[in-house]
Amino acid sequence: MSNNWQTVIGIEIHAQVNSKSKLFSSSSTGFGSAPNTQVSLVDAAMPGMLPVINKFCIEQAVKSGLGLNAKINSKSIFDRKNYFYQDLPQGYQISQFKDPIVGEGSIEIDLGDEKKVIGIERLHLEQDAGKSLHDQDPNLTFVDLNRSGIALMEIVSKPDMASPEEAVAYVKKVRTILRYLDTCDGNMEQGSLRADVNISVRKEGDELGTRCEIKNLNSFKHINAAINFEVDRQIKVIEGGDKIKQETRLYDVTLDKTRSMRSKEDAHDYRYFPDPDLLPLKLNQSWIDDLKKDLPELPDEKKARFVEQYKISDYDAEVLTSDRLTSEYFEKVAKNRNVKLAVSWVASELFAILNKLNLTIEKSPVNSDQLGDLIDEIENGIISNRAAKEVFEEMCESSKSVKEIINDKGLVQISDTTEIEKFIDQVLIENPDNVQKYKEGKTKLLGFFIGEVMKATKGKANPGLLNQIVKKKLDN
Amino acid sequence: MEFDKNSTLKLAKLARLSLNAEQLNSLEKDLTSIVSFIDQLKEINTEKIDPTSNSLDQDLILREDVAENKLSNEDLLKNVPESELGFFVVPKVIE
Repeated sequence: MSNNWQTVIGIEIHAQVNSKSKLFSSSSTGFGSAPNTQVSLVDAAMPGMLPVINKFCIEQAVKSGLGLNAKINSKSIFDRKNYFYQDLPQGYQISQFKDPIVGEGSIEIDLGDEKKVIGIERLHLEQDAGKSLHDQDPNLTFVDLNRSGIALMEIVSKPDMASPEEAVAYVKKVRTILRYLDTCDGNMEQGSLRADVNISVRKEGDELGTRCEIKNLNSFKHINAAINFEVDRQIKVIEGGDKIKQETRLYDVTLDKTRSMRSKEDAHDYRYFPDPDLLPLKLNQSWIDDLKKDLPELPDEKKARFVEQYKISDYDAEVLTSDRLTSEYFEKVAKNRNVKLAVSWVASELFAILNKLNLTIEKSPVNSDQLGDLIDEIENGIISNRAAKEVFEEMCESSKSVKEIINDKGLVQISDTTEIEKFIDQVLIENPDNVQKYKEGKTKLLGFFIGEVMKATKGKANPGLLNQIVKKKLDN
Repeated sequence: MEFDKNSTLKLAKLARLSLNAEQLNSLEKDLTSIVSFIDQLKEINTEKIDPTSNSLDQDLILREDVAENKLSNEDLLKNVPESELGFFVVPKVIE
């Protein structure tokens, strides 16, 4: 494919506000309940029902807006977006059209060594729709309204992204910010955060091409794959002499393809108008300022502080701050301890085990105090780093304390010089040839001797001491 | 303003209504009279008035975030033409 094509991507993220009750009714928002058990008369759109807005959802939207460095609008308006569908009993979605609660902002994304600023167009509050199940019966659709009316924040980016990598980095960053703010749990599997991706291609210097929108992508993997497929498809269409039709497409996970969902030619006419049931939402500047004061430390600030305070690399700081709970875990482990050990144990060993067990850090089998205890034992020379890995594995499976495991497994490190010397002497006696070669200049054999002593001590010799003594003995 | 046949058909389509010629005709007349009534209101100069301003001296009423499920599944589905396993059941619609 010719490489002077440019990709232009804009993204709409739907993030569920982590409220207990819905945006305009008191029904619960819990996930996984029996169908149609969290539906009020308002959610079912019974005649005469009136919406009353949830104050907490407003706060969460404003906090999110502040986290996206965006302008908070002192006055915003709720509109009706009219369309007919079986999972929308009102016949309209209450959303915000012309006057959203949050206006323009921007965030910074990390692309390896580079940074890029991505513009935010707006954030508005709206109702989620219900859920239609089409696979229960060949001729019928089953409808569950539990989700109907749950508060969503729709976050619209500017068309500032130029590759799938940038798109994924952007969604990741927004998700991280919302999780830091605790305004959305970011659970993509449960649909708490999903992305609609708008894609177009053009030749360098040309005007924007016709775009297609891929709806409802609920994992970073799918976002990446869907964009890759769609960009190729669009370029092929244009190079084949055809035009791109503006349309909504679906990403089919099993086929790794996007396919047309509905054509925008038959565009929905949503007939937006201000909802007469709801007065304009007015926000007081001092209330906004108070929320701003109470914002937690956000990922960019935290990352900068980690680099500064712990003297760790940009990369390590990025990894450790990509999730708020991970960063808090790390700080507890690193407190008054060797930072290098803390970084390597959290970012390598702990992450590896969480990955293997497919767990998030809040479900970690080893908590920060326990991991701290383990590092203390290493720092105090009681166990070697290698033995610590064995202890760590056991910690993930049992509730025993670090000390108990070390004792049970007999892993206490040998740090007694005379004892280590005994083992070394034995190895040297058993390998006169190699001693001779070493003395003739094959100093690489040092590793061989250390390995033999480690074997003999079942890995318990203090590596630092061992290294020192072996060298001294051989060099004499 | 005349509410022509095409506009009536478009509205019917958006509302998923299928209408026969007679119904279309009568709706066209009704809609024309409704729209011309609204058009009368347009004659008033509202340039300096907010679209959502009203005669109440009141701000939007807010609610605390307290969850309660008051309506049982049985009550919710009581008047439903068809339901199964706690779901509303409708003819197959996929968009």
